[in-house]
Amino acid sequence: MSAAESATAIHRNQVDLLDFIDWSGVECLNQSSSHPLPNALKQGYREDEGLNLESDADEQLLIYIPFTQVIKLHSIVVMGSEEDGPKTVKLFANREHMGFSNVSDFPPSDTAVLSQDNLKGKPVVVKYVKFQNVRSLTIFIEDNQSGSEITKVQKIALYGSTVETADMKGLKKIEDH
Amino acid sequence: MVLEATMICIDNSEWMRNGDYGPSRFQAQADAVNLICGAKTQSNPENTVGVLTMAGKGVRVLVTPTSDLGKILACMHGLEIGGEMNLAAGIQVAQLALKHRQNKKQQQRIIVFAGSPVKHEKKTLEMIGKKLKKNSVTLDIVNFGEDDEGKTEKLEALLAAVNNNDTSHIVHIPAGPNALSDVLLSTPIFTGDGEGGSGFAASAAAAAAGGISGFEFGVDPNLDPELALALRVSMEEERARQEAAAKKAAEESSKQEKGGEEQDATMTERASEGASEADNKKNEFLQALAMSMDEPASSQDLQDTEMSDAAAEDPELALALQLSVQDSAKDSSSQADMSKLLADQSFVSSILASLPGVDPNNPSVKEVLASMQSQSEPQQKQDEDKAPKEEDKK
Repeated sequence: MSAAESATAIHRNQVDLLDFIDWSGVECLNQSSSHPLPNALKQGYREDEGLNLESDADEQLLIYIPFTQVIKLHSIVVMGSEEDGPKTVKLFANREHMGFSNVSDFPPSDTAVLSQDNLKGKPVVVKYVKFQNVRSLTIFIEDNQSGSEITKVQKIALYGSTVETADMKGLKKIEDH
Repeated sequence: MVLEATMICIDNSEWMRNGDYGPSRFQAQADAVNLICGAKTQSNPENTVGVLTMAGKGVRVLVTPTSDLGKILACMHGLEIGGEMNLAAGIQVAQLALKHRQNKKQQQRIIVFAGSPVKHEKKTLEMIGKKLKKNSVTLDIVNFGEDDEGKTEKLEALLAAVNNNDTSHIVHIPAGPNALSDVLLSTPIFTGDGEGGSGFAASAAAAAAGGISGFEFGVDPNLDPELALALRVSMEEERARQEAAAKKAAEESSKQEKGGEEQDATMTERASEGASEADNKKNEFLQALAMSMDEPASSQDLQDTEMSDAAAEDPELALALQLSVQDSAKDSSSQADMSKLLADQSFVSSILASLPGVDPNNPSVKEVLASMQSQSEPQQKQDEDKAPKEEDKK
């Protein structure tokens, strides 16, 4: 993570990757059924402070987000409360179907320790070079700020850009001569 | 229709030799496993089921989750009973087996048969339960067999730790006349989480219920529709015939003398053969009598079915039946004789007394006699009324 990067402003050409999330494959392990992942991810829900993603059996959460196309990830925003918001967040690119048992099997693509500023909305810039060709993202929330039993996440937002892919709308049939 | 991968944990410890369930506890368990495998694969063809044993030398996976029913049934053969059940290890190995399932889209489920005492601490079990919940694995516990101090409590605690929105269940099955698998059929383990029973489970339950003879004639219409239909129709016809006979005149014809004697012989023979077995044969006897007096045209086929069944048992009875069939075929007026003879209280009781298996003082026999008598009374009244008509007929 480069601290020199602009902290508050999102870079140009970086878009909110919400539109590229493949919702049918989104999974979250150890979430509470009354406070599921869409509360933190979906447009509208994530702005609502009353709606949080909460953990269930213990304080860890494992979130798997596949994308509809290949993207480059620039930064993420994780918002939560002062005590119960997440602290250590590990990101894994292109690892399918991870479980809590194999999070320690391979090194994360990036790790972030969230400060209070981050929890209020300051984006965390990630190691861009590691996220150039991302098909799916796994977010492992290891612990929370106060060490309590339940971790509460109010909002998760991803910022980045898409890789140049063929624009199917622009395809035209070649005229027969 | 949930897409699911299931691991079944079997208890093959020494406690399974006990015979308080079915043939033996182990056999009852095996039947239940077969049923579960069938139900799971039928509810969704892509479901997979695996089996492991918890006792013996150690936890051993017999078959990894597969949708091949034959493989699962085959691995249940030649299992040895022995050792002690290791519940914690069993569940953990099951979790591991599920983790490495081929189709990651399947939901993970573990079904545990806990028949022997649980030696683990409640805390240990709760931690295991939490781990299962964290990895979104659901757990079904079948508590049967031994019931020692704290076992139920420990299992309930385990369930509470795993349970997420009522997706996990526990079932307690005490020893009793019903088979383990039959009791399981009605539980949420089979019927799913409120999705409604799968067709397999529903039909299996119906068959099981029929086997416990909840049916009118002791014959399940699903198993043998023709026989059940024949029995039912014959009962209805017998009732109809009795009503008709009550209205018909008992013909004081001269034929009564000749026909009567023949009928006497046949009836006595048939009576003695037909009801010689026990009281529950009495119904068949009455039915058979009714058959012989029925309108020949309509019920000939049913007669044959009914009579051939009875005749198979006894050659003398077969002869008697033949005679009676011939009689009924040629002489419908003799029907009236039969009813008159039956109406004669003393005659009936003398016959019944001569039957080895029937005691006239038996309450059910008295009931039958009473019903015969009540029919004979209207008959006698109408006899007088229709006396002139008879002469017209002749």
